[in-house]
Amino acid sequence: MEPKRQVPLREIFEVFFIIGATGFGGGMAIVSLIERCCVYEKGWVTLDEFMHGLAFGQILGPFSLNTSTFVGYQLRGVVGGITAAVGFISPSFFLISLLSWLYFRFHELPQLQSALKGTNPVVIALIVVAAAGMARSKVRSRGAWLMALAAFAAAAFLKVGALAILVAAALWSLARAWFRREHA
Amino acid sequence: MAGIVKLAWIFLKIGLIFFGGGYVLIPLLHRIMVDQLHWLTLTEFLDGVALSQLTPGPLAMLATFAGFKGGGLAGALVATLCIFLPGTILMLFLASRYERLRSMELVKAALDGILPAVVGLVAAAAWGMGRTSLLTPRDFVLLAAGFVILQFTPVSPVFVILGAGAVGFFFGFA
Repeated sequence: MEPKRQVPLREIFEVFFIIGATGFGGGMAIVSLIERCCVYEKGWVTLDEFMHGLAFGQILGPFSLNTSTFVGYQLRGVVGGITAAVGFISPSFFLISLLSWLYFRFHELPQLQSALKGTNPVVIALIVVAAAGMARSKVRSRGAWLMALAAFAAAAFLKVGALAILVAAALWSLARAWFRREHA
Repeated sequence: MAGIVKLAWIFLKIGLIFFGGGYVLIPLLHRIMVDQLHWLTLTEFLDGVALSQLTPGPLAMLATFAGFKGGGLAGALVATLCIFLPGTILMLFLASRYERLRSMELVKAALDGILPAVVGLVAAAAWGMGRTSLLTPRDFVLLAAGFVILQFTPVSPVFVILGAGAVGFFFGFA
């Protein structure tokens, strides 16, 4: 891997501000945007690093914000992490403040709903593309496919929390690695 | 001023127990904002949830809404900062240990071992959203178009999302 060049804080802020302003659909939609932008377009982090950041991000607080913080940290340390987090949150903050003000003033929700109805399917497409891309490069063996399917089923059908699934997967991988080392 | 400090403290506490993502937050905030403190009525609370989902940010932006009610723009800012502070600090800490953790053989095995599970989680998010928002043929057409554009062309997703929003807006999707 080539050595990381120093990415200007301004660029980090701008990139995450744009992601924060257009990531309608929340959560995974935002993560898919970050992946596309920071892994493939800018090459700021590798796919492995990015996915680890996403996994850590499930622990406390919203993982979209946490993943932004993680990527920012990889680029410029603590300052980079905070820059990315602030850039990401600002658009939503201003939008919510404006909408809250309108709401408490006029007690009516602005009619943004139809626009959002249009974005929903496309946001799902974005997430599917991200999942397919990750699967192509990170899910190669039969064991990996089984784990991916098990995680999918647990989250989609059994409504198991993401954190619990990741902890279980980590313990399973750890046990396997340990077993292999002991019996090598 | 005392109001702002109290607001800060409450949202900091919520940020500290906000494990495992967004939807834990709804019952939690409901109990605190509506039942205990009476800062919001139930209707206001539900409208706040809808409103926070109108924006790109996480559901936790509900804190901004509640803070706005409690203390205007300053209240909104303080509430937002405080609810995100604990998670962000933890994340910065983990990120700072990341390189060292990764160089430990067993930890690396565990970290790499969870990648397929991450893929499963991403796919499950698409599944969950699809179940609630892909209702008509129109939605599937948009899904297919979005998939083709995003998978096979270098068009930035920013434009694809904004374009789809414009389609929904101008055709008045109900």
